[in-house]
Amino acid sequence: MNYLLFLPELALAALAFGVLVIDLFLPRERKGYLPWVSLVGLAGVLALSLRYLWGKDTNLYGGLFLVDSFSLFFKAFFLVMGGLVVLSSMEYVKRHLSHPGEYYGILLLSILAMMLMTSSGELLTAYISLELLSFSLYVLVSFARGDPKSNEAGLKYILLGAFASALLLYGISHVYGMLGTTGFTEISAALLLEETPLNPAVLLGLALIVAGLGFKMAAAPFHMWAPDVYEGAPTPVTAYLAVGVKAAVFALVLRLFSQAFMPAIEEWQVILAILAALTMTVGNLVAIAQSNIKRMLAYSSIGQVGYLLMGVAALSPMASDGVMLHLLGYGISNLAAFLGVILYYNVTGKENIADYAGLADRSPFLAMAMSVALFSLAGLPFFAGFTTKFYLFTAAAEGGFLWLVGLAITNSLISLYYYLIVIKQMYMVPASDKSALKVSLIGGGVLGVLVLGIFLVGVYPAPLVDAIQGATGAILP
Amino acid sequence: MLSLDMAFWTMAVVTVVSAAAVVLLKDVFRAALCLVLTFMVVAGLFVLLSAEFLAVVQVLIYAGAISILIIFAIMLTRDVHQGNPSNRFRYPALVLAALLLAAIVLVVIKTDWNQLDSRVLPGAPTEAVGATETGVKNVFSNTTPVIARLLLRDFVLPFEVASVLLLAAILGALALVREGEG
Repeated sequence: MNYLLFLPELALAALAFGVLVIDLFLPRERKGYLPWVSLVGLAGVLALSLRYLWGKDTNLYGGLFLVDSFSLFFKAFFLVMGGLVVLSSMEYVKRHLSHPGEYYGILLLSILAMMLMTSSGELLTAYISLELLSFSLYVLVSFARGDPKSNEAGLKYILLGAFASALLLYGISHVYGMLGTTGFTEISAALLLEETPLNPAVLLGLALIVAGLGFKMAAAPFHMWAPDVYEGAPTPVTAYLAVGVKAAVFALVLRLFSQAFMPAIEEWQVILAILAALTMTVGNLVAIAQSNIKRMLAYSSIGQVGYLLMGVAALSPMASDGVMLHLLGYGISNLAAFLGVILYYNVTGKENIADYAGLADRSPFLAMAMSVALFSLAGLPFFAGFTTKFYLFTAAAEGGFLWLVGLAITNSLISLYYYLIVIKQMYMVPASDKSALKVSLIGGGVLGVLVLGIFLVGVYPAPLVDAIQGATGAILP
Repeated sequence: MLSLDMAFWTMAVVTVVSAAAVVLLKDVFRAALCLVLTFMVVAGLFVLLSAEFLAVVQVLIYAGAISILIIFAIMLTRDVHQGNPSNRFRYPALVLAALLLAAIVLVVIKTDWNQLDSRVLPGAPTEAVGATETGVKNVFSNTTPVIARLLLRDFVLPFEVASVLLLAAILGALALVREGEG
């Protein structure tokens, strides 16, 4: 067996343990080194992944661990995003949280979990990786120990997360019981042999798996936990939840439904389409009424899950490209928006939409960057969100879901309304406190890079689309 | 087979009743004791399914270690006498749970389960039926080596990831309860 193919995961696990051990020996005033160690390590793991996994299409452990361009694409995505989250956390952790060693160590372990999730070619491996991810997040969400809201968020997340895992596991056991295997390709082969209509037990298993994963990605009606958890969690963790976890779950969903459940597409397509319609409508309508910006972004990200689910419902190579592209565009935009919230919170300690009044006078750069991020989330032209949504919606329309695309466009307009409320606060409403805001150099730099990224993806997405088409080729030939 | 059927139905009823008691009892300590009972009866069900190893592990880990942990945790918790209050979602939850139960029962009735007798072709000679039964008995006569092979060879990757998972859980638990900065 070629262990080089497994090297990035091993290296990342070693890095996480390394950060924890270094933390033991660092005096308190030097804990600031830990994020830099994590960053250098993540860059190293990215280099290892690109060096050893590029162009490979094989598997390890008898099909449990798949090495292909799809998993490489998502691994690179998670590593870069992890680095950005580490950079955004630096100042926040120093000011508001204790135990930085455990924070970065567990963050790295959760990135390991995401990498394993995208590579798993079998339900149990996927489940255990998802659990590793969830456990890390339960801890990270409740990391602000002194803050009752963070504790409440952690408790809600762990209870509902455990419930969702139970549903998922129950579904997996039905599928295994009836088809006799948990491997993705073997499930697909077994489904082809089953007579239609499908055995009710397999259908129930499928429905439970959709419900379990729906909980994890916060699709309506399984989204109740999301707003409270997003509001209570430390803001860098919220950004990570909104971008990383969604991407990891969608990577698993794309692989699962295209490699394992594709022969039964008639059965689950309608369920996913209804979930998508419900999710985007609930998310966007409830977002209007929010006064806390983290809650508003939580509901808006629920709305985005609806668009992504629409792509999965219309699963085809083009729809899969659309989902991945939108995950990326949404990811950059949302990270930028959350980074803006973090930077503002670091200086002022406030996170209500009303507190953003007059931000344009106090820090023109921050106001500009946040407006760009919000416009991109709404999907205005020239921003990343427009290009990626356009691609995704076209793919869904070609997949026969024209009604759903119409609903998605209506929802995008609704979302523009509540994003504009924030922008109006920043530009039109005068500030009560006129003093200039000083944004930290690192945070500002990362935000600048993200804004450039938003424009780059919006104007020139061709290289990305090429990479994504290669990645889709591995799961949907 | 009548004695096996009786054993199964007794244990099944006890499992369901004690599991329901865990959720419904107001006193948390009594609920924990019912949970122990549930663990024990499930171990009995494993024995009926010829999974002796799993049954022993269930008794050792769940009925033994985890129950004691839960009971300790309850005894060390303040305000435990407040019990297990219900909230305004009690009746909607009841309706939803009943619907889910109805769906599962419907699936159980409607599904053509892969039972041993339905797997053997109709009209096959009785030796074939006997051979299948012996084959199944052989697989289930000694489950420990099968489990060992599955865990440590075929599924070694998730097995190892589970250890990382436990490490993350321990670290997290410590980070969340440890006093002081640092």
